[in-house]
Amino acid sequence: MKYISLIVSLILSIGFAVLISRPIDSVPPLAGLLDPNHGFWQNTLSEDQIAEDEIDLENLSAPVKVIYDEDLIPHVFAENELDLYRAQGYITAQHRLWQMEFQTHAAAGRLSEIVGPVAIELDRMNRRKGLAFGAEKGLAGMSSQPEVEAILEAFSDGVNQYINSLSSATLPVEYKILNYRPEPWTPYKSALLLKYMADMLMGDADLQFSNLRKILGQEMVDKLFPYFPEDNDPVIEAERVWAFEPIEIQAPDSTTYPDDLLVLDPLPAPEPGIGSNNWAVAGSKTKSGRPILANDPHLGLNLPSIWYSMQLTTPEHSVKGATLPGAIGVISGFNENIAWGVTNATKDARDWYKITFKDESRRQYKFGEEWRDTEFRIEEIKVKGQESFIDTVVYTHYGPVVYDKTFRSDRQDVNFSLKWTAHDESQEVKTFILMNKAKNHDDYNAALDNYIAPPQNFVFAAKDGDIAMRIQGKFPVKWEGQGRFFMDGADPLMDWQAYIPFDQNASTLNPERGFVSSANQHPVDPSYPYFVWDRSYEHYRNRRLNNQLRQMNDITVDDMKALQFDDYYLHAAEALPVMMELLDESKFDSDDAKKYIQELKSWDFYADPNQKAPTLFYIWWDKVDDEVWKEWYAWDAPITTPNNYQMVSLMKNEPDSEIFDHGNTENVENASTHVNAGFESMLARMAEWEAEEGDYSWANYKRTSVRHLVPQFESFSVSNVYTGGGRGILNATSERHGASWRMVVELGEQPNAYGIYPGGQSGNPGSRFYSNMINRWSKGEYIDFSLRSVEDTQEALFTTTLN
Amino acid sequence: MKFIGLTFLVVLVVGIINPFFPFWIVMICIGVVSALIGLPGFVSFLAGAIGMGLVWVGQSFYLSIYSGSDLPQMMSELIGVGSGMTLVAITGVLGFIIGGLSAWSGSALRSALKPTPDNIYKG
Repeated sequence: MKYISLIVSLILSIGFAVLISRPIDSVPPLAGLLDPNHGFWQNTLSEDQIAEDEIDLENLSAPVKVIYDEDLIPHVFAENELDLYRAQGYITAQHRLWQMEFQTHAAAGRLSEIVGPVAIELDRMNRRKGLAFGAEKGLAGMSSQPEVEAILEAFSDGVNQYINSLSSATLPVEYKILNYRPEPWTPYKSALLLKYMADMLMGDADLQFSNLRKILGQEMVDKLFPYFPEDNDPVIEAERVWAFEPIEIQAPDSTTYPDDLLVLDPLPAPEPGIGSNNWAVAGSKTKSGRPILANDPHLGLNLPSIWYSMQLTTPEHSVKGATLPGAIGVISGFNENIAWGVTNATKDARDWYKITFKDESRRQYKFGEEWRDTEFRIEEIKVKGQESFIDTVVYTHYGPVVYDKTFRSDRQDVNFSLKWTAHDESQEVKTFILMNKAKNHDDYNAALDNYIAPPQNFVFAAKDGDIAMRIQGKFPVKWEGQGRFFMDGADPLMDWQAYIPFDQNASTLNPERGFVSSANQHPVDPSYPYFVWDRSYEHYRNRRLNNQLRQMNDITVDDMKALQFDDYYLHAAEALPVMMELLDESKFDSDDAKKYIQELKSWDFYADPNQKAPTLFYIWWDKVDDEVWKEWYAWDAPITTPNNYQMVSLMKNEPDSEIFDHGNTENVENASTHVNAGFESMLARMAEWEAEEGDYSWANYKRTSVRHLVPQFESFSVSNVYTGGGRGILNATSERHGASWRMVVELGEQPNAYGIYPGGQSGNPGSRFYSNMINRWSKGEYIDFSLRSVEDTQEALFTTTLN
Repeated sequence: MKFIGLTFLVVLVVGIINPFFPFWIVMICIGVVSALIGLPGFVSFLAGAIGMGLVWVGQSFYLSIYSGSDLPQMMSELIGVGSGMTLVAITGVLGFIIGGLSAWSGSALRSALKPTPDNIYKG
């Protein structure tokens, strides 16, 4: 009897212990998650509640002091650069380790290891795009410079010392939920992070344009997608004179493109309307007489935030601003002497080549008169709970053959290689190391000479009064039209033949108009001697921004803050009068229709959160767009439609153009037909919305949300943020995208700086610093971002010494 | 009296050992303590269960109040159970079962090892 009792009790005890130590399907081990001493309960503590006065950090040459301000922004004081970056690694990991690792896993195509088979498709795509391949090349470039390599190693060492100090209690909660552990950080991962950014910011529509060309013909494509818009207001002022001899390349005599209709699944492109603003105004236009610089990069609104703020100080320099967790130094920020900021500068840096293989084995492909050898890269994708997935990616000299018989194509003969500057050796890390301590315009240029991808418009202002803008990246010299469509990889003239020398990249210093600015628009005027094209150039934010800057004088920091938060909806201001003109009001006599028309007519074109008209316009425009391009959308192939600017221009100038007439109907449609049909659909949509939701004020309709990186972790997200703005508006906050960081800096004896981002310093959803800035951000408020000195511990949250 | 004593000892063991060791080490320690005290099986179970359950409820409740964190609420939404307080209760139940089973096993082990009392009256 007594043995039976022992056996039963032991079986139950051990059985239960095993049960709660193992994951069941997607449910993590219960004991690890719920144990109050080790599980998620430990992650309820905020950083100030577990602050330590001293932390052991090995390999430092001198102690490093870290002062946290009331928003948990660390101000790091080190004796030299190696100590500084070692500390940066440690501190960033303390607050953002899970995010750093998750983002680099994503870039490396390794998410399946964490979340299982659902991510295989995504992992394959990221590997086929060559992100890991690019990171390897990138790392080779960085490691070729001993001082850069030493800094990368120091940073990694800092991260790893934090990883090694982790206990089951302090492990970030996402690891506990997803049931895995962090692996060591390496410089390779810092390189991967830059590819993650490059991928986020660069897209192309070669596939879509190839299809349009096939269906509509080149002439129509040229008409609907002109190289330059009528009101071009480029990044570099149009008056700029180009005093250099451009490199000549040979264009093919006749351009014949692969002429297939391509029913492929296109790679995800950056969200239209995603972009950024930056500008600097010269002292001649400011009240204080000192230059002011502003930057707000627009990215996906995610938690943990893409940015992490820091001050990094050595006896030689003191820099503050936004860092990318996992990357070295500050990416958008200022020091005692200069300030700089970034916006995306797309210039079709990705092209596709149709590959003609010699035979089934794909070991050789045609290039000119010769057969060149391919390389095979075997990608082993480890999958949680399953056997690895093995993918073979063929590489030509262009780059990886992304589309082939095994990926996104049903056809055996479809083979397209991707050529992309993000695959090249690069020195981006050096750019930021140098920029962080730059003192003047020369230093800024020297730093940028190392920068390749993703191309950015680097705005600059200095204490000595200089303001500047430089469009930096590695750009191929292209013949007119090159890279718009899929090209024949067997024709050497289709290949990139040269790159634009860095000193011929478009730039400007102290232009007469007293300001420099960029908002992802066309970089230059047609007078620039190189062919410049991208389908995603902005047409609204740039004109609004430049119009405002041109007329503003006696500018203050507060004016610049207000401009970053400007909700003027220029697209609506230009489109609505045209639509009203084309609308036959007599056809719509319901009370609702009259109310909506009245609201639209009395609108001041500001997309403020409490306004109702932006919602009406937004839906109406969307429905008109659906009506106009209905036929195109019905084609069973990926295509792109003309941008809003071009469409307004067509509706206004050629309302009876054949483009508005749908061939398959009895009637002849024109712009007015679609505007009226769109209004009808808008009424239906509004009736639905008013019945279900009631309030249709802009913020309530738009529903901006800031989402956790794992979409399933809904409760770690912040939804329904009450804020205005939208796509094509300076305050570019749409549903899921917007100003991911806002900074305004006035240079002077002491820089006068402000910043904010939609998130919080902590990556821990349980911390009170996880999303604490979102509310202030949504109202256009800022945090004082002035530099702190090591003695200044006033209003510090806590202070830690690393030694 | 011994019941309260064992409960108290379990509270101590969990409070001292658990912060440094995973739950299964705690289970073994509770088993040992329970074997040393030597209460009958069901009474041991109850003492262990109440002891550990109380500590786990107490700790998780204290952490959520002290931190003021939204995490318990977020986690309960993620898992799909009521509120943060529901999770405190679930944590308590988990501690209750772990503590109870461990103490019962300890008690059963002692009974099994104890020489059969028959011999006492011999000789």
